[in-house]
This record gives sequence, C-alpha cells and structure tokens, in this order.
Amino acid sequence: MKFTFGLKKIASGNKRGRILEQWKFDSHSSLLAPPIIASLTKNKSHSIITGTKDGKIISVDLDANIEWVFNAKEDIDKMELMFLDVETSSSIQASPNVCDINNDGEKEIVVGSELGNIYTLNSKGKLLWKFKTNGSIRGTPLIADINNDGKKEIIFGSGDKNLYALDNRGVPLWKYDAKTEIESCPQKVQNQIVFGCSNGEITSVNNKGELLWRFKTKAKVLAQPISGKIFGNEKEVIIIGSTDNYLYCLDLKGELIWSFKTRGAIYSKVVLADINNDGQLEIIFGSCDNNVYALDSNGEIIWSYETDFWIVAPPLVEDIDGDGQLEVIVGSYDQNIYILDARGSYKLNYVPGVSSVMQQAGHYTDIMTEEPGTITGKKIWQYKTEGIIVGCGYINETKSIIVNTKTGKINKLTHQD
Amino acid sequence: MVEEVSEQKIIRRIRTYINGLDEHMEGGIPEGHATLISGTAGTMKSSVCFNILYNEALKGKKSLYVSLEQSYESLVQHMSNMRLNIHRIKLLPIKDLTKINEVVNKAKAGDTGSIIIADVGCIRNEIKDIKLGDNRSWLNVIKNIIKKMKADLNCDLVVLDSMSALYVLSRFENPRIELFYLFEFLKSMEITSYLISETTDNGAYSELGMEDFLADGIINLRLTPFRRNIVREIAIVKMRATDCNNDIFSLEFKNGQFQALYGGQNPLL
Repeated sequence: MKFTFGLKKIASGNKRGRILEQWKFDSHSSLLAPPIIASLTKNKSHSIITGTKDGKIISVDLDANIEWVFNAKEDIDKMELMFLDVETSSSIQASPNVCDINNDGEKEIVVGSELGNIYTLNSKGKLLWKFKTNGSIRGTPLIADINNDGKKEIIFGSGDKNLYALDNRGVPLWKYDAKTEIESCPQKVQNQIVFGCSNGEITSVNNKGELLWRFKTKAKVLAQPISGKIFGNEKEVIIIGSTDNYLYCLDLKGELIWSFKTRGAIYSKVVLADINNDGQLEIIFGSCDNNVYALDSNGEIIWSYETDFWIVAPPLVEDIDGDGQLEVIVGSYDQNIYILDARGSYKLNYVPGVSSVMQQAGHYTDIMTEEPGTITGKKIWQYKTEGIIVGCGYINETKSIIVNTKTGKINKLTHQD
Repeated sequence: MVEEVSEQKIIRRIRTYINGLDEHMEGGIPEGHATLISGTAGTMKSSVCFNILYNEALKGKKSLYVSLEQSYESLVQHMSNMRLNIHRIKLLPIKDLTKINEVVNKAKAGDTGSIIIADVGCIRNEIKDIKLGDNRSWLNVIKNIIKKMKADLNCDLVVLDSMSALYVLSRFENPRIELFYLFEFLKSMEITSYLISETTDNGAYSELGMEDFLADGIINLRLTPFRRNIVREIAIVKMRATDCNNDIFSLEFKNGQFQALYGGQNPLL
C-alpha cells in the first residue's frame, strides 16, 4: 500500500469570486463539438471558430461579432440525398484544427464534414481546397509534419474505413485501410500515428501508413489518444479511453501498462497536467458514468467528482482565477459547467487515538496503518447554461471559458472577484 | 413546485376496422401512436394493416405502406383476393426514387383517397450500385420517404412491413439506440404508424424485445389449434391512453370485413 499521508495536502484555501457570463452568441443551429480558439493572423486577437449541425463554420471575435461564415453545405444528388439523414447530412461533427499549413504566416482552418469532405479555409474563411472521401469525417484532423519534410501534413479518419494523409495542398500521400470506420482524431506520437477505430482497436501506423501495432478494446474507440511522459522520466505513453468504459495506458509498442475502469463510456480525450505539483503528470478525463476523474501516473484514482449526467466533452485544466493554482473545467450533459479544485479536497477520516491505530510489537509508538483520509473532488464554482455542453475552450489572456452547447449557444464565461 | 395537470386532452382515434375490436379500445388506436402489429406467419398482420389504410382511403385519406418484403404486385394481388375493391381508391407504387415526385403529383390529383406503396425490394433492384456507408443507409431512405409523404401529402398513416426485414436491411449496429431513435422519429413526425412484427411461438411480441417497451401499443395475432382446425386470434396486449379489453378474441375475415368475436378457443368449449 502506498502511504502519501495527505494531511500536508489538505490546505486549499477558500476560493473567492464567481463565474459570470460576459456574452452569449446564438449560432442558430446545434453545436456538436468544442470550439477552437486561435489567433489566425499576426497582430490579431483570438477568434472563436466552431462548426454547426447545419454545415457552417463560424468565426466570431472575443466580443461575439461574426468575423466570417463558411457554408460547407453541398449540392447533393437527389437520389443520394434519400440515403442520408437530411438533418445531419452536412453537419460538422468535430472541432476544426488550426495551423499555418502553407507557411504564409497566417493560420488555416482544416475541418471535416459529415458528407465526407475535408475543407481547408484561409484565415478569412475562404476555401483553399477540399478533399472528398466516401464516408463521414467525425474526428478533428491532425495537422503535423509526419515525414520531417518541413511541411505540414493533414491526417484524418473517415467513415469509408480509411485513414488519409494529405499534403498541405490536399493531395493524397497515402491511405491506410483500417477495415472499420474511424471516428477518433489521430495523434502523432514520435514517429507513429495512433488512432481509435469503431471495431474497438487502437491502431498505430508509421509515417508511410504502414501498420505498426494494434491493441484491442471491447467497444468503439472514439476518443483522441494523448501521449505524454507521465512518469516524470523519458518514457512516453499513450492514454486513450474507449466506449468499453476503460481508460487504457499503453507503451509505444501497444502493450498495456495499466487500465482504469469507469462505469460509463469514455468519449473524449484526457488532459495531462501536474495538478498537485509532484513533478509528474496526472490524467484528468470525463466518463459517461457522470464522473470526472483525476488519476495518478499509475492509473490509481486521486479523486473523482460526480455531475448529474454524462461527461462527453474533454475537460480543461487552467488557472482561471489567477491564484497560481490549477482548476479543472468540465462541461456536463446536465447543462452545467463545473470548476473543480485540481488538487481535490482532503477529507480526514482518521480520528487521532481511535481510528486505524495499532500497537506494533517491538515498536515504541502508535503507527497508522492506512491513509487517514481520502481526496475527493471539490467543486469551487458551477454555472448553468441553457443546453447540453458539448465542449469548452479557454482564452488564457482574458481567462475566459468559451462554452458550446447543443442548443447552438456559445457562452463566454469569466471569473470575477 | 408541482405543476398543475392540464385538462384532459380529447384523443382522436383511428379505427382498426375490425368489428368487435374497436369497441373494446375506445374506438380505435390513438392518433400519433406507434403500434406493433405482432404475430406469427399467416396471422393476417399485413392484411389487418392494409385493411386500415384501405378503409381510411375510402374516406379520402392518403397513407403510406412501406413494403420491405412483398412486391407491390404481390401485395395488390393479395388485397384483391381479400375482395377489397381496390378500384375505389388510388394505389400508387414507388418503385424508383427518382420518380417519387410523379407519385406525389398523382396522389394530389383529385379527391380520391390513396395508398402509396413503397416497394423497397424493387427500389433496391433499381439502384444496385449505391455505396452504403456509415452515413448512408436504407433506414434513411425509409425515413426520407415518410418525411416527404408527410410534407407533400400530409400523409399521417404509415405501415412498416416488416420490422424483421428492416433489421436485415439496416444491419443495426446498436439496435437499442437505433430503435429508440426510430420510434422517436415516428412520434416526432406526428404520424400514426403500424409496425408489423414477425414473431415466433416463444411468447415475445417482437424480435429484439425492446420494441414492446418503445411502442405505444401492441396488437397480437396468433394461430391456435382448435379441434381439427386452426383459429386466428387477436388481442390488444397494450394500448397507451386507452381503456381497453385485453381478452383474446377470435379473428375472422368474411365478406371483405374483419370481425373479432368471443369464442373459438376455451370460453365456449
């Protein structure tokens, strides 16, 4: 048993202030994924970019003014339209990705659509190029230089069962046939590209699209893999949740290091952050068992906090009140944003002189045989929005949380003393 | 705070046109209900449903029969054999999705009621090269036909024949979720739907089991040996918002009319 004796960690001074809504923007369509917040051009403040169910990509500034709108709706052959769900056929199911892919000093926006197109827009929302696949694109495209040629490539999975790699002009470099739909966002891990599949496999391919390894889970893998050196040494691992309710920690050969069982499907990526200043990265994630969890690097639970409904959106770990301590921001299907103390709260269940104390033979003093308390999730603030929360973004400069809801509203929340 | 229950809403009902049965369910199936018509092979499930649409069409109503198994021709032949005078209504087949507007226009012309029969088997033969994917499915085709008929013809009576064939066609990956959304879809369209459910003799009313819970009503048909004969029987197993008699009736079809009667099995033995 590991004794950390958390008494030293009890102190977590009372937080002051409250969470206020600065503005609310109505996109007039459902939102299905978190927003992306980025400065698209030099000397320009941030933009909030989000896709909608009716097939639009909207960019708004930090005062909720529309900067541009790109319409990803396509003319569809009447016959083909009969085979589609008309309401979602053009929808944008995943967050866009933003990066300067052509080295022009401005950032481009790359986004996939339910109709199977990848669109690349310039910083003003004009289409640069598009690429069509034969299945829906439901994961955020990865933008990375996977072949070390100094240029960015775009890698994404499709409902047509292929993982595609395109160059920065939309020309296909290769595709990998996964033999199953790919809805997860791929992740570059050293020289590998790791992604989840609908048949429950976590798959790794090299930068030429050749299979390296597969790891089998028991249900669809929709979350993005996240890699990190969680043990505080050079060893990098991959952490990814599955809809089989487990969170998996794998090494770079696809071997299981540990798994952690929740009671609900895990849909979104984890966040790695050192939440307790122990020099190691902790793992924070949400599950459809309504809980947000913080795990240590060995997959042991540090704390959990239960909301009233599923957590599908990935959490954020930021210092929103500027006190030098991290908070966990998580949106729930119960329509609330929860801001939790990242370190949790230590609840003492040891009563000196009574509990868990025994005399050890040959020893001159009492010893404690178990942890005198437990760390639990601690809510600091809660804010109720008007709809199911599908994701959040964070603006560090203004310490603002941007919240996307299924009802189509974008809320800007800030902490105020 | 407890909200006050609003006044009881008057429920409009669609008759089953089975004499002796409607009287035991406050006059018929409530409008907007999704009802399972379940039974083993040969229990006249399709005939009972078609008979409802036929009698509604005689009153000028337009309805949709989605046939996933039987062809249009076979269905019409079957109904003619039942001595339904199909010339008094318009029977309009959808065999080609590109010609769906022509069918709509024919149905719109005149005041005669019509039954539009979507012959899905024929439609499938017409389009052999369509690539079905994660977002393209035959279930979407059926939903889109229902939506179009509702929007263009205010067609609010739909028969889906059968659920078993739909499962084969759609290859539901997660039936519990997909069935839930199918029933939600039918309710959101504000149509009265009759879902024909093939059953075996194991006592279940549906193939996957969960349809029983999702449906607003279940009407079960069965065959029971009686002396040296087989008797058709019918029972209202469940009907939401209805004070119904759950007795088992024998079902007869004579002179173009269905009749539910007491007797046939044990009661009069």
